Amino acid sequence: MQLRRQPLSAPRPGDTRPAAQRLAVPLLLLLALQGAAASGEPEDSGWLQDAEPSSRLLSQAARAALHFFNFRAASPSALQVLASVLDGRAWVNQKKEYKFDLVFTTEFYRAEEGEKRLGTCSAQVFFRNDKPRPAVNVTCTQLIKKERRQEEDYQLYKLMKQLKSPLNAVRIPDSHGYIAPSLRPIWNLAFLGSSYVMWQKTTPFLHYFMSQISSVKQWKTNDDAIDFDYTVLLHEFSTQEIIPCRIHLVWYPGKPLKVKYHCQERQTPEEGSGTEEGSAVALTELSNF
Amino acid sequence: MKPLLGTFYLLGMLVPGWLGYDRSLTQQRQEVVGKVVSPWRILETYPYNRYHPMGEIYQWMSEIREKYTEVVTQHFLGMTYESRPMYYLKISQPSNNPKKIIWMDCGIHAREWIAPAFCQWFVKEILQNYKDNSRIRRLLKNLDFYVLPVLNIDGYIYTWTTDRLWRKSRSSHNNGTCFGTDLNRNFDASWCSIGASHNCESLTFCGTGPMSEPETKAVSSFIESKKENIACFLTMHSYGQLILVPYGYTTNKSNNHEELIQVGQKAANALKAKHGTNYRVGSSADILYATSGSSRDWARDIGIPFSYTFELRDNGTYGFVLPETQIQATCEETMEAVLSVLDDVYEKYWYTNSAIKAKSTALVLSLLMSVMSLL
Repeated sequence: MQLRRQPLSAPRPGDTRPAAQRLAVPLLLLLALQGAAASGEPEDSGWLQDAEPSSRLLSQAARAALHFFNFRAASPSALQVLASVLDGRAWVNQKKEYKFDLVFTTEFYRAEEGEKRLGTCSAQVFFRNDKPRPAVNVTCTQLIKKERRQEEDYQLYKLMKQLKSPLNAVRIPDSHGYIAPSLRPIWNLAFLGSSYVMWQKTTPFLHYFMSQISSVKQWKTNDDAIDFDYTVLLHEFSTQEIIPCRIHLVWYPGKPLKVKYHCQERQTPEEGSGTEEGSAVALTELSNF
Repeated sequence: MKPLLGTFYLLGMLVPGWLGYDRSLTQQRQEVVGKVVSPWRILETYPYNRYHPMGEIYQWMSEIREKYTEVVTQHFLGMTYESRPMYYLKISQPSNNPKKIIWMDCGIHAREWIAPAFCQWFVKEILQNYKDNSRIRRLLKNLDFYVLPVLNIDGYIYTWTTDRLWRKSRSSHNNGTCFGTDLNRNFDASWCSIGASHNCESLTFCGTGPMSEPETKAVSSFIESKKENIACFLTMHSYGQLILVPYGYTTNKSNNHEELIQVGQKAANALKAKHGTNYRVGSSADILYATSGSSRDWARDIGIPFSYTFELRDNGTYGFVLPETQIQATCEETMEAVLSVLDDVYEKYWYTNSAIKAKSTALVLSLLMSVMSLL
């Protein structure tokens, strides 16, 4: 990912780097000055602990961990979203690698109000050279028993099998935030696929939310698996951009999720992102698929 | 007849697509461009728990003004880029009391639909309750409310007709090849220094210069003209569930930062008490990201003491496309937060009579005691 490197100086007008990067530069200076405040880490790795990590940074890292968790669990009926960060520590080193140690609570990703069960996760998240696709180590308390989760996944799968191929012109949710009950399984599965993409794209400075499914290219259920090809609009928070991503996934209850994706490059040329990387990954995955 | 209509309307709300609430694109296009397709016949049945296109909001403002003439007046602020009128509502209890102004604007970012919905809700709550509710009655004794339900009208209409996730205004740049300025980067507060872009393609495009946009000019010249009397500047956004204090363009804090945080935290607590929703409070640079040219920072810098950005529901689950089923709860809890801020603003400027008496009594007593101890 191409980033502008600038000497530590006062912000110049018109600097177009994402805002979070701009704050990170003085942060690094602060960390360098703190020096001996580093706790418990071996000297040679050069990790400096951030004495006061911003809640935004910790939330971003927690979300990345949760995206990875949701992807790996491959369970559209048991998707979890971040509730709050209980405890978080952050380190950075000279190589611009970021490390996070987090404890956070989660909620079920459900339509119904009042379903307020909270889970807890602990995670270590590692970004190399502020690049995307962090390495994640995450464990979460079981919000729902495995058997029940499998059963609900299977029920969802049965519903999906009954769905006729929809909805080429329909957005989910619609402009008013409405999702027809029959389309809910599609939304959940789309979120599962998007979790993979959002994990892949998250950096210490860029983080994503799923806004809308803008189109469904294909919804096939021949053989056993659900074959789902759609375009989702991701909202990137620090630049406020809407990124369309074409995602193609194959899902069967209990099996790992197979995903490939390609996200459209953002319009602004200065803020060149890592889509070369992304599409290269997508290309290799296409051939393997 | 009227109750019957009301019943029909309520039934209509249960049947999606009935009474013109089929959200097809052509329907929306008809609704937005001044031609009003309003199924409600009387203001009492206006559905505050639905999103409304601009045509309906214009009409709603007229009806509010007509129904509550004793306290409401409608005023022209300026024209948008696409030549649409910007109106604000002034809610003021006529009296000889000195007044301070509370300013609230919504919808500076087009896709944040819950914000204009809240502005409408707020107006409705004040007007429906100011006679019976002692808390609101008290506020209206010395506070005037100026509410701008939609600041970025062109952008808002664009989200109804063309692109639901549009953010900026609809000004034309680069020979008509690029559209829209981020109006909340266009104010004269460390303009375009950080967290904004000089590139029109960017969603945080700061414009061609500070206050370059007609919408920004309209709001800022009005606020500037009244700034001596404005106690509180509230600007409503979504999403993120945050109450933000200055600044975004620096991590330095305003000279009343502690007070702003305290008032903000009290408001967040009041909000949470309603439906359990968690809001965080802090400066924009600390808890959100660095931004320059925001209206909130500008308002604080010209001397308005209480200046807040509210980022309403949710936390990213639906984001900008918040379901209508959440409008009511969101507005109810936000109302508690705003009233909490207003109470604190009121207390700051006008001690209640009993408070003054208590203070005087305490003073006299302590003087007496110190005199007696000398005897």
